Order: sequence, then C-alpha cells, then structure tokens
Amino acid sequence: MNVLFLAVFVSSAAVLLVKDAAAFLPALLAGAGKAVSLGLQLAAVWAVWLGFLRVAEDAGILRAFSCAARPLAGKLLRTRSAAVLGSASVHLAANFLGMGGAATPAGMRAIRSLREERNGFGQTMLFVVGCAGVQLFPSSAVALAASAGARDPYALYLPALLASICALVVGVGLVLLCYGAGRRRSAFSRFEVRRKKKRGALR
Amino acid sequence: MLFAVLVPLLFLAVFLIAAARRVKVYDRFAAGVAEVPSLLRSLLPYIAAVLILAELFEASGLSALLAEALSPAFRFFGIPPEIARLVLVKPFSGSGALSVVSEIFSAYGADSYIGRCAGAVYASGETVFYLAALYFAGAAEKKPVLPVLIALLSNLCAVGLACLFCRIL
Repeated sequence: MNVLFLAVFVSSAAVLLVKDAAAFLPALLAGAGKAVSLGLQLAAVWAVWLGFLRVAEDAGILRAFSCAARPLAGKLLRTRSAAVLGSASVHLAANFLGMGGAATPAGMRAIRSLREERNGFGQTMLFVVGCAGVQLFPSSAVALAASAGARDPYALYLPALLASICALVVGVGLVLLCYGAGRRRSAFSRFEVRRKKKRGALR
Repeated sequence: MLFAVLVPLLFLAVFLIAAARRVKVYDRFAAGVAEVPSLLRSLLPYIAAVLILAELFEASGLSALLAEALSPAFRFFGIPPEIARLVLVKPFSGSGALSVVSEIFSAYGADSYIGRCAGAVYASGETVFYLAALYFAGAAEKKPVLPVLIALLSNLCAVGLACLFCRIL
C-alpha cells in the first residue's frame, strides 16, 4: 500500500505540475474535506448501530443468534468463539439484507476478534464473503434506475444477484485453495508460517 | 417497501426483549456509542490519505487515461468500455460509484444495454479497498494482500458475469 500510494501520488502530482499547477492544493484540500465529512457520516452511522449491537449483545440476542448460526459460520470461519460467531453472523445477515450501515460495524468487530485469536483464514474468509456483496434486494441500485426513468428498474436484479453468487463461489473457492481445504496445511500456509518465524527471529 | 418496515421492527424487537431481560437499555446503548471515537480515531487517517490520493488522481486526468488504456482489456472480458470508469471507481468508493452510475444513466439511458450493465455492476460486488481499509486498519504488522487480491478477483468475475447476464437474460 505504501508503494502504491507513493507511485500514484508522485505520478499524479507530476502530471498536474505540468498541466495545471494551481489545481494541486485545491485537489488535496477537496479530498481531505471529503474525508472529514465521510468521517462524520460514518460516526453517525456507527453511533446508531454500535449502540444497537451492544444492547442486543447484553440481552443475549447475539449469543442466541450465534448459536443458531454456529454450525455453518463456525465451519466457514474455522472458529468456536461465541464473540466472533455473534458479530460475524450479524455482519453476514445484515449484508444479505442490504443494511450496509449495520453490516460494517459488526464486520469490524468480528475481524478484530478473529485477529485476536490469530485466525488468518477466518479473517480472509469473512472479508471475501462480505465483498461478494450478495444482496437479497439491491435497493439503492433499483431506486437509482427508477429515478432515471427506467421502464423496468428490476431488470438489473437477476443479473446482479447471479453475478454476486458466482463471485461468492469463486471467492470462497480461492480462499480454500490458498489456505488449503480441510485440516491439512497447504504449501502456501506452510510458507506463511516459515516467513512469520523468520521475521520473528530477525526482530 | 420491505426494508423500510424491517429496520424499525428490528429495533423495537431488540429493545423490548432487552427490557424484558432487565438490561438497562439506555446505559448499554450509550456504552456501545462510546466505542465510536476510538474507532474513528484509528480509521480517519487512512480514509483521509486514500481520499486525498483519489482526488489528486482524478484531478490529474490520469484516471481517465487509465480507463482509456484498459478499455481493450475490458472489451476482452465482454465488459463495455463505457462502464470502465465505474469498474475502476467501485472498489474505492460507493458514493463515487453511485455518481458514475447516475452519469451513465443520463448519458445512455437506464434501459439501454450499457445502462443495465452499469446498474447490475453497481448492485453486485463491494467496495473492496474501502472495506479493507476499514477492517484491517488496526493490523499493523500484517498486510491484507491475500484477502484483497481474492476479493478483487471475485468482484472482477462478477463484473464480467453481470454484463453477460444482462445480454442473455
């Protein structure tokens, strides 16, 4: 990410220097301004959903939810921890229902707990499944098509759903391929372990 | 609308169950909100850096150039080059993708093949880089290269397939 950031920044700045040097600082400030307003929006969304999630957690609803989802989610993420399974199943359910606002904080909590138990497979799997974006009802896309005067705004529903499901299958397959299906370790994860050990020795 | 009814029902159900189980709803709700500042403090630096970079990239005209340079590759996968900009913006920003989609709708019409493709591409997949920045921000030592690569690849499959399904369905 550091290399990418530097490369894109330097090349864009160089082009802008030649083309229109006066536009450089306004562009940076516009980006920072967007970040601040996005941060405020996110803070508002998180305040609502994190408060909600904490109430649900203390009422034991998350635990009940994770018990119901345990057979499937536990196998998917290879974990037994109730904290992970609760947030992860909320994340997946909210994603599926198209409630992005609720999905993101729950996903962040689940990934944080997975990181604490050093479950790299679970983090990757949860991220990839979330990123496939399988949605029961893509409300914002349909609303946008309808407001643009589409005759049949639901025309995009089936292609989008099928494409997302295919993306989910491809993503899960790739994760299993990279980490090795089942219990045995693949060549890749052995390599990862060796790399980690070497880094630890250097430090 | 299903969604509009679902959210208030969810809140009502959870708060009433919590109250029945003698949870102090007000205190616990506030305790949940208390997590927000620390979350924001760990994430805002990364959001700011990425958005500043994106704005600079757009202003320099390099993003339009990149979209043009990649259009043969897009055509190879059966993706109309008119939606190349959407495919490039989508992994970074949901609101950016939304504005590109509405531009495409007004330029080509929402019922055209390109318009339907844009809608389906917008509705499938996710903002991979944005979510990676959110989810993996706290992990200092380990870079999420593998998850991001896999998610990008599967989202690219979704783009190609969404265009294919728009053509045959």
